[in-house]
Amino acid sequence: MSADATLWLTFVLIGLATTLPRASFIVLGGRVRLPSVVQRALRYAPAAALAAIVVPDVLVVGGDFVPLNPKLAGVIAAVAAALLSRNPWLPFIAGMAVLLGMRALSGG
Amino acid sequence: MSALSFRLGAREGFLSFLPMSVGLIPWALVMGMAMISAGFTPLQAMGMNLIVFAGTAQLGTLPLIVAGVPLWLIVVTALALNLRFVIFSAAIAQGFRGIGAPLRWYSGHLLTDGVFACCFEKMLKVDDPHWRLGYYLAPSVWSWLLWQVFALIGVFAAGSIPKHWSLEFMATIALLVLLIPLAKQRPMLVAAISSGATAVVLRGMPLRLGLIVAIVVGIGAGFAAEHWSKKEEAA
Repeated sequence: MSADATLWLTFVLIGLATTLPRASFIVLGGRVRLPSVVQRALRYAPAAALAAIVVPDVLVVGGDFVPLNPKLAGVIAAVAAALLSRNPWLPFIAGMAVLLGMRALSGG
Repeated sequence: MSALSFRLGAREGFLSFLPMSVGLIPWALVMGMAMISAGFTPLQAMGMNLIVFAGTAQLGTLPLIVAGVPLWLIVVTALALNLRFVIFSAAIAQGFRGIGAPLRWYSGHLLTDGVFACCFEKMLKVDDPHWRLGYYLAPSVWSWLLWQVFALIGVFAAGSIPKHWSLEFMATIALLVLLIPLAKQRPMLVAAISSGATAVVLRGMPLRLGLIVAIVVGIGAGFAAEHWSKKEEAA
């Protein structure tokens, strides 16, 4: 098999490994019910997953735990903007401004 | 009647997700540029983008493809990166009651972190299936369009956008903005802190399995916090 064909096969398999988990319960629907304890526990899934993706993103720099870094300052600014204002764009503006400002100040 | 409620749902879903969706733009740009710098042709890059449609799975498997890792390991990695969607899929499944199988498959294919976090509460509450379908599909198709268009721009802009702009940070901000309203409830906050701390501690686990462990720990902690706060109320 040529390198190009292998690459396309790889894409299709990664695509299946993405769509099947996503579609699993949506497609099975009412035929498979999770126990109510599991359903109650699942309410915490979105908060847990978002935090699991975001927190290392902010506090880990190049594989090391570096809590005080420009990204943390940017995140604090973005969270403050989201809590204090109803403007949906402000967290992005504040976060990016603080991140780039801190980087410029530190010469990084 | 059904077309009208589909449109009303679509409008509400689209408007509630619109501000969050800006976070996809830098993510898609970065994705497009990353695939080109991995050595893909523009056709291969857009082929992957159309077939896979998943930022984390695409970015996570890219270095493995470049390194020529065995195919099975690439697929296992993709599955590990996507396991959280089994949880999401189960949590939102009741929102698709009364909707046919082809549309469920299509909806499943389009399921993303952002749309899930934004839509899942109302998907479970509202009765009208037409409204729910519109409410889910509008932000999902919008995400898909943004993802394809800006990845394509990234493919052709590869090399001309300065890396030090750190545009990918906007994706981090977008996920945080989704997290804030959830974390206003005490057990949710406990779940988020436990999960985030676990993910940092286990960041070295292979295949990013630490992410799965962190989510499970977070769910457990939130559940325990809910249990304890009920006990306090009773006492």
